[in-house]
Amino acid sequence: MEFHGPSTVDEAVSLLAADEDARCLAGGATLVAMMNADLVMPSALVSLRHIAALGGIAADAGGGLRIGAMTTHREVADAAGLDGAHALISETARAIGHPAIRNMGTIGGSIGHGDPQADYPAALVALDASVELRGPDGARAVPAQDFFVDYLETALQPGELITAVTLPPSPAGGFGAYEKFARVEGDYATVSVAAAVAMEAGRCRYVRVALGSCGPIPVRAEDAEARLAGTALADEDVAAAAAVLRDACDPVDDVRGSGEYRMMLVEPLLGRALRAAAAKGGAR
Amino acid sequence: MNDYVSPVGQGIPRLETRDKITGRAVYADDMSRPDMLVGVIVPSPHAHARITGYDVSAALALDGVAAVVTGVDIGDHKIGPFVKDETALAVGKVRYMGEPVAAVAAVDLETARQAARLIDISYEELPAVFDTDAATAADAPALHEGFADYIKVFEADSDRNAMAIIEIVEGDVDAAWERCAAIVEGSYETQAQCHTYMEPCSALAEIDSNGKITIWSSNQSVFHVQSFVADSLGLPMSKLRCVTPQVGGAFGGKMEQTVQPAAAALARATGRPVKVTLSREQDFEMIRSRHPGKVWMKTGAAADGTLLAREVRIVLDAGAYADDSPGVAGIAALFCRGPYRIENVSIESRPVYTNKLRSGAFRGFGGPQVAIAGETQIDEIADRLGMDPIDLRLKNVVLPGEEWMIGVALNKAGLSECLERVRAACGWDAKRKAVSNGSGRKRGIGLACIPHISGVLTSGAIVRILEDGTAVLNTGAVDNGQGSDTVLVQICAAALGLEVDQVSVATPDTDGSPYNWGTTASRVTYMAGRAVVAAAEDAVAQLKQRAAVMMECAEEDLELRDGGRIGIKGVPEAEIGFRDISGFSHWVAGGPVIGTNSLAYDGPDFDPKRGYLKGFPFGKIGAWIFAAQAVEVEVDEATGRIVPLKVWSAHDIGKAINPTAVEGQIQGGIVQGLGYALCEEMVWDSGRLANPSLMDYKIPGIMDVPPEIDTMLVEDPDEHGPFGAKGVGEPPIVGIAPAISNAVAHATGTRLRRLPMTPERVLRALRG
Repeated sequence: MEFHGPSTVDEAVSLLAADEDARCLAGGATLVAMMNADLVMPSALVSLRHIAALGGIAADAGGGLRIGAMTTHREVADAAGLDGAHALISETARAIGHPAIRNMGTIGGSIGHGDPQADYPAALVALDASVELRGPDGARAVPAQDFFVDYLETALQPGELITAVTLPPSPAGGFGAYEKFARVEGDYATVSVAAAVAMEAGRCRYVRVALGSCGPIPVRAEDAEARLAGTALADEDVAAAAAVLRDACDPVDDVRGSGEYRMMLVEPLLGRALRAAAAKGGAR
Repeated sequence: MNDYVSPVGQGIPRLETRDKITGRAVYADDMSRPDMLVGVIVPSPHAHARITGYDVSAALALDGVAAVVTGVDIGDHKIGPFVKDETALAVGKVRYMGEPVAAVAAVDLETARQAARLIDISYEELPAVFDTDAATAADAPALHEGFADYIKVFEADSDRNAMAIIEIVEGDVDAAWERCAAIVEGSYETQAQCHTYMEPCSALAEIDSNGKITIWSSNQSVFHVQSFVADSLGLPMSKLRCVTPQVGGAFGGKMEQTVQPAAAALARATGRPVKVTLSREQDFEMIRSRHPGKVWMKTGAAADGTLLAREVRIVLDAGAYADDSPGVAGIAALFCRGPYRIENVSIESRPVYTNKLRSGAFRGFGGPQVAIAGETQIDEIADRLGMDPIDLRLKNVVLPGEEWMIGVALNKAGLSECLERVRAACGWDAKRKAVSNGSGRKRGIGLACIPHISGVLTSGAIVRILEDGTAVLNTGAVDNGQGSDTVLVQICAAALGLEVDQVSVATPDTDGSPYNWGTTASRVTYMAGRAVVAAAEDAVAQLKQRAAVMMECAEEDLELRDGGRIGIKGVPEAEIGFRDISGFSHWVAGGPVIGTNSLAYDGPDFDPKRGYLKGFPFGKIGAWIFAAQAVEVEVDEATGRIVPLKVWSAHDIGKAINPTAVEGQIQGGIVQGLGYALCEEMVWDSGRLANPSLMDYKIPGIMDVPPEIDTMLVEDPDEHGPFGAKGVGEPPIVGIAPAISNAVAHATGTRLRRLPMTPERVLRALRG
């Protein structure tokens, strides 16, 4: 197995494009474990560690946010100045694994694996994020909702790598919350709910919701959001939206819980996420 | 030297703590020898199959591969502590997926792993059984066709895959039910728990030119390693030297064979040192787990709360090999009455072979499987009779001077005090009266009592006084990380009147250490500690004999004085220090002082006239120890999650040699008990273990543990224990699951009978 340590994105792209069995090595939190378990045997590793352009969190003039692909979970968790709904991304990062994993794992590596049990995917969908990609044919941006294609499958094409995640400006008065339910602290979510909400005079003016671990990709249902819009997020509103979301879910049975149990969790966790997000607006 | 303070009772830091915290501690896998090879074990891909052929040519042809060994090479040498039913590498048949079939040694791990994949073994698959119901069905395949001819160390009936049928009967349960005002009955199911020691199994074996093999390994007894490696490879024990570096936890999982036979076989085949360390996944799939249990139990009490009868049927899933199963099933039978005076009992316990990973010893040793049934039934009885659960227990608990079932006398029994201490500390009476509000998160508090034993079998100690009057202690007892080296040094120093840093402790080594059966059965402090006291007393007697010559007086006139001196009674100024006596011994007369002792547990025995006992695989079983534990929980009715808020744990320990270490043992057991109660479960998909990793098998982390664990030490000295001490290793894990189940019933009115009490199971139970 070969090991490369390029210092530019172009160099990394050409290495990846030249060898379809090569894999990007970001934090290694998942890839190295899979290699140890003989689940993947790459012909080459292309380490992204020395590519400065892949790091950093930056706000743009319009209020949007760009998070470099090699930004670690800890950097996102500790990032200052993430206001409004953007704070959801930090809250989500704090819920990933435990400190050792957060010190090593990166946002690009996490979403590039395409694991619906991971924490970032649902949060990025709820935040209307985009994923910036670079490949042999140049750069492109894919909405997070379209980036996740199937279980462990993303829109990444051969030779492409993730360069950044971008978030649009936080909706006015918007706040987010990430409600993660796991067997123990640090486990993958049995079910997670990412919600971004803006309340006005006690009514929900803006809402985005995505579920993690409820199907092969993050689950979003615009009908559920429409059902919540304009309401005070009362129990019956949450119940009705949860019913719509459950129709969009296709959860598996595994050691974290049965698919049926995951469906049982959707309503209470949705209610908690929505109310936690709304409460942050109220507390301001 | 009036300022001498006895080291016994001092919560000093453990001797190895600094090395462990700074990363200097050496574990087996940290070791390296010149010319060392790396060994990898090839697991069976089938749950039950006949081996029809081996082709190791491709593996041997790989550059860097030194040797491949299979069951054919090591021979059909059967091992097993109770039933000799397995070989270190499969011979003829495999009986679980993950069973070691072959091993390969190569220059490095990558090459060895590649070679392991190239070993081609052909199998003819056989029908397999994955649970005890299937294994005991009339048409079930026999896992061990030759079972009748196997060597066994106990006598019991067996029935097809049920390898032993253990029975305890006293009184007449059938007649007693008629006198009961409250009877509860239920079936309970418990899961396989992984030991999840931090350090995966590891062994390094090296052979010398006389064919003697030295094995450094992670284990619970160097003597046990010596014995099973000798048996498994057909070697005399004198050709084996077994040593232990630091051990990163064991909990019962390293008491029997792990990878030592394979490492030794590879060293023998190659003539070079070979190290075998399992990956976490292989450790999960290959070694052993706690027995899954199915328990049916019925308990009855009179209207005044007097417990009158209990009937129990225990079935333990032993997996593919007997390992410690007859012992675990026997102890489950012995403990399932609970620590109560119940005159009428009828108990049957069966360990059953299935085509899964072997089950074996695990902290609690059969206790946890029956405690969830027994201790929740006590609460149900209390509920039926309108009594407080602690009042009901206090009315029935065994008292000092009474007998256990089948007539084992209880010299001491501090359970009543444990119960009273917990009751006061946790605010029991007020909390039990509190009614949970309807906010969706309900609070409750529950309690459980635990009986256990501390002792069993044999230990020894050697105390040598060095030329300068300091001492070296050698017991052969392996410290698994629980702190026994420190505690034994404290005992030795106190018995000699020395400071802790004046006593060195020898590494367990079968060439030089006195025999110690094992670090198991909560026994090292009690058994090795007794040997240490007696060996130190022997050393003191020899010091007095030398001193008598030096001081020209009678030995009887001499006394041991604090600070390492021998003096003449009643004459304070007439004394000699150990240094002078030892110098005299070494260079003038008498010879070096070497105090020794060896002992077998010699406590009360069973009384065959008192009850019917059949198939029980132990003799004298040790000093009784007791505990009471309470847990306060919050139950999230929307998700089913149980959040433990605080744990109170009171333990009848005789005397705390090192209170800090005792509290550490209790806290560690409680956390492992929380895992058993709430989240840990090995899950099989037919024969395949579905969660053999720390990603999918979850133990509680620091954030999952309640912020406060209140430990209480009940110190009523045992008459035989070293300075009055008894053991504490196992009880702390046992009461947590039933206490939580009782707390959930208090909070919600819902009774849980299956472990672990996952949020999903709780939510389904709450919704009926």
